[in-house]
Amino acid sequence: MTSALLVQSAVIGLSIGSIYILMALGLTLMFGMMHIINFAHGAIYMLGAFVIYYVYFQWGVPYVAAFVLAMLLLGAGGYLVERSIYRPVKGGIEPTLVALLALTTLLQAAGYPVFGTLDKHVPPVFSGTRNVLGVTISVERLMIIPIAAVLVVSLYVFINKTRMGAAMRAIEQDKEAAALQGVNVNVINGLAFAVGFALAAAAGALMAPIFKLDPMMGEQPLLKAFIIIILGGLGSIPGAILGGLILGLIDSIVATALGAEPAFLLSFVFIILLLLFRPTGLFGHAP
Amino acid sequence: MRHWFPLTWVTLFVAALLVGVAPGNGGAADVIKFGVATPLSGPAAPWGIPHKGATELIFDEINSQGGLEVGGKKYKLEVIAYDHKYVIAEGVATVNRLIAKDGVKFISILGGTVVKAAEEAVNEARVLNLPLAYADGLVSPKNPYTFHSFPSPPETVIFWNWIKQHHPQIKRVASITPNDDTGWWSLKVETKYVEKLGYEVVAREFFERVVTDFNPMLLRVLAQKPDIISVLASPAGSVGLMIKQARVLGFKGRFIHIGQMDTSVVAGIAGKENVEGTWVHGYVQTPLPEKVKSWQARYTKKHGEWNATSIDFANPAFAFVAAVKKAQSVDPKKIAEALSTVEFDNLWGKAHFGGKDYYGIGNQIIYPMPFSEVKDGVAHLVVQLSPPHN
Repeated sequence: MTSALLVQSAVIGLSIGSIYILMALGLTLMFGMMHIINFAHGAIYMLGAFVIYYVYFQWGVPYVAAFVLAMLLLGAGGYLVERSIYRPVKGGIEPTLVALLALTTLLQAAGYPVFGTLDKHVPPVFSGTRNVLGVTISVERLMIIPIAAVLVVSLYVFINKTRMGAAMRAIEQDKEAAALQGVNVNVINGLAFAVGFALAAAAGALMAPIFKLDPMMGEQPLLKAFIIIILGGLGSIPGAILGGLILGLIDSIVATALGAEPAFLLSFVFIILLLLFRPTGLFGHAP
Repeated sequence: MRHWFPLTWVTLFVAALLVGVAPGNGGAADVIKFGVATPLSGPAAPWGIPHKGATELIFDEINSQGGLEVGGKKYKLEVIAYDHKYVIAEGVATVNRLIAKDGVKFISILGGTVVKAAEEAVNEARVLNLPLAYADGLVSPKNPYTFHSFPSPPETVIFWNWIKQHHPQIKRVASITPNDDTGWWSLKVETKYVEKLGYEVVAREFFERVVTDFNPMLLRVLAQKPDIISVLASPAGSVGLMIKQARVLGFKGRFIHIGQMDTSVVAGIAGKENVEGTWVHGYVQTPLPEKVKSWQARYTKKHGEWNATSIDFANPAFAFVAAVKKAQSVDPKKIAEALSTVEFDNLWGKAHFGGKDYYGIGNQIIYPMPFSEVKDGVAHLVVQLSPPHN
């Protein structure tokens, strides 16, 4: 592998990693607070992409407005899911998991009659290419990095610098104690669902002009997001960031050097070895 | 109580009459059920939708003329289609359902991995299969009831001779193909053929059908400086992403697909300008012969939207109808015997089943295959070629 190829694959790895981070953020947030794995994350990612397809591509609304709308719509959907699924089962982990799995199946199955059976596409929002460290990369891929960074920083500020974020952290540490201190656990849980769903929608909305759209498009990113949050530590936002970058670089550099299958294998070997020595992942902590 | 008995008998008599005239019951013996197991959703739907649509059109046209005459009796043709999403487990389930529940004796399966997985079920039930699928060993003496109805890589590789003659500057070939039965076999056949022609195969890569980011794979491939990338057996959606991403990485050469893909789907994803010059087998948008133009008008009228893939995917229905007419029987064995010898018209000319020298059995469709080049986003017919074997 030449040095030019190494640089090229590293730059591409960073862009792939940024996509992975976006997917993993919402997932890890919801796990951290409520200890549930949101199986519907991939389906919400798909819906976010289809909002862009209709609102931006078909109806001609500016991309930024369509992007914000996707986050708001699906964020509201997340709040409704908390009200209609999570709250009625009183936060029971297993019933919620099964219900979210059912929701995923429903959304994917409904996707074909609603969106059509053929793959859809969205024209590029950011066209052209740029040379980065001697590597040609599309502007639309490059733009993922700052947009992902903005979303990560916004989430960090929200969690660490706002009263609602403080309430989320309090629930994460001790739900009963937080409730005794006057935190409205139901409202904050609903907010966590809304933020988690909005982040998945943001990832889908960003990917829509880059990849093709179909009702099953969220499955592969969801699998990657699961790997990342286990690697980074369940519930850890810094872990999701580092995990996303590590996996993106493995997927790109190893796949370029040795092929896609060794890269896939290596990512799992890496996780197994890591979990042997750090069972809670890079930044996770024991419950 | 006295009135109950006559009333009961009258009711039963009326019910019997109704049952007797109900469609699909009393007439069941006069219906030939034809199963279609194909992807109607998911990435391979651009193949499955015209597969079903073409079969329905041919059968509807025959039904509108009173049906298919067999042994002095008119039969209606009925398509029973299920979506298998190009997923092996669903494919096997749909084939089993067609055979066991719907009782079909004739079937057309799309997808190499699916047809191989369902091979045993099809053979055990002695169902006549007219698949559209690439898989090693599919056309084989051990599958006497399988008549492959679309040109496979052993036939379509002939286009490389045309490339060698008309574009001698192309020397280095890279191949990217799905990581399954269909991809492995297609790659094996094409590699062997092009190497014999003197091409250098500089890269061979396999991808999972769910992959959307081809950048790492393309970096490996482009590092070998290919003149052309063969994406044989890849679905249109995947090819669109490959082309889009390869162009960003600076690849200026051509793409070729000797399987079949809808280049309008590819252009939609990759951008019209990026698909320019792509060669494809089995997908032609212009110029269309008169016979195909008529087919286009009828297909559009029936389905509301034209799909050029339907031209070549009409083969199973054309072959089946011709064989039933020749056999004058609805027995799968007799129809299979007829298929071995019948010559029939498809939309590109005369077709028959042959290829015994290559496969050991003459169950591969043979006809003058169309090859196109994408110019300004439209697939232009450049040549029709006969396979290297008859």
